[in-house]
Amino acid sequence: MVKAPVGGARHHTLLLPSSTVALAVALMTPMPAQAAGTLAGTTISNTASASFDNGSGNQTINSNTVDMRVDEVLDVVVADQATDVPTTPGATNQVLTYRVTNTGNGPEAFALGTIANVGGDDYDPVVAQIYIDANNNGTYDAGTDTLYVAGSESALQPDATMTVFVLATTPGSVADGNRGIVTLVAAAKTGTGAPGTAFAGLGEGGGDAIVGSTGADGQDNGNFLVSAATVSLVKSATIVDPFGSSEPVPGAIITYTITATVAGSGSVSGLAINDNIPADTAYVAGSITLGGSPLTDAADADAGDFNGTRIHIGLGTVAGGQTRTVTFRTRIN
Amino acid sequence: MRKLLILLLATLAPAPALAANQIALDNSVFVERVTTDASGKQRVLLEEPKVVVPGDRLVFVLNYRNAGGEPADKFVITNPMPSAVRFAGAGDASPIVSVDGGKAWGALDTLSVIQPDGTRRPAQPADVTHIRWAFQKPIPAGGSGKVMFRGVVK
Repeated sequence: MVKAPVGGARHHTLLLPSSTVALAVALMTPMPAQAAGTLAGTTISNTASASFDNGSGNQTINSNTVDMRVDEVLDVVVADQATDVPTTPGATNQVLTYRVTNTGNGPEAFALGTIANVGGDDYDPVVAQIYIDANNNGTYDAGTDTLYVAGSESALQPDATMTVFVLATTPGSVADGNRGIVTLVAAAKTGTGAPGTAFAGLGEGGGDAIVGSTGADGQDNGNFLVSAATVSLVKSATIVDPFGSSEPVPGAIITYTITATVAGSGSVSGLAINDNIPADTAYVAGSITLGGSPLTDAADADAGDFNGTRIHIGLGTVAGGQTRTVTFRTRIN
Repeated sequence: MRKLLILLLATLAPAPALAANQIALDNSVFVERVTTDASGKQRVLLEEPKVVVPGDRLVFVLNYRNAGGEPADKFVITNPMPSAVRFAGAGDASPIVSVDGGKAWGALDTLSVIQPDGTRRPAQPADVTHIRWAFQKPIPAGGSGKVMFRGVVK
């Protein structure tokens, strides 16, 4: 009983009731809702009050105030943005897209790096550069987006996300259906390590920075899928001679059939068939057909022409799994 | 000895202010740290934190004591939730709460929150802005006790 007033007095020396209430109220308003949590450096203040009547009217007293500082948690998540990015053998500036999110509660810069020989794939893409999406449109824009330079990272705000592009070259030796993986790694510049590792004094607001559940580094795989196509040509000839037989005698008509077959998951573009008219034979005017339909000999709107020495049929872009059949006739001199 | 005396004087100096009511309310906050020992058993330790991180589980304890000679009637303890802490229950004491900054009070399951579209939804623990214990009986002279609630650092 004797101690109690001393205890009570001690509490009173710790605070001015009115200013403490004001502090508590002030802290309540400006806190934005953060999925990543309360911002590092925030002070959490708790003060309770009691009101009562002990015979001399209603009175209110405040408790002491307990202050806690929120330390910085270092966390980051990397997420690849596409299942498979199509590429073709030998292609350059092939783009993989990742999103790097600061899931910690303080501004933090993240060092970026790539691993191209992770395994689990068929080939190693050759990483050329890393770019940061400067205009935040999620699409790589050459000349607009910012080339990533190690050591010059700028801080990412808590909950903020940046889009990162990895530009790679696909080796010419890859085959249709091959898969190539590039891992993007983002690591907190303050430090990484086992969850709970503390970096004294390096947190936002002068507190500690503590490694969060992600280890303060994150990574994800981006996948290239090679989409290539191969073309095979098969040429055959049938002969009809003037006597109703099939002997290669002068005056006999040779019908050539050229079948172009495109295989693979990709497509070929600019596909064209050229065939010289064999010596000692003469082209039969107007005899070119494509897919059974006749084509004119002139170099005009249709796909075929004959220029006096060879026939030419431009097939353009042909997807894998399709065939094109061309025929033309010659007469044996 | 002189030092101690000065200290005593310093602590006693504001005593007249106390004499008027002689009620003390002491606020302590603990953080639950879960540790796992070698055999895989989890132990919960309560520590008084200087620093916390989002997700930390806090226990707020309020000790009250009536050091005066008269019973304290209409005894009410109110604790505004720090905005960075999400209410996470108050054990058996089941205090009344407010979800609108202290205007309306009641058990959490009797309160609702107005949503941006004007409709109401049942209040959730995260909506709690204030916690209040209203004692039915006066605190007798010399009486003391404590109330507690839990929260999670947002």
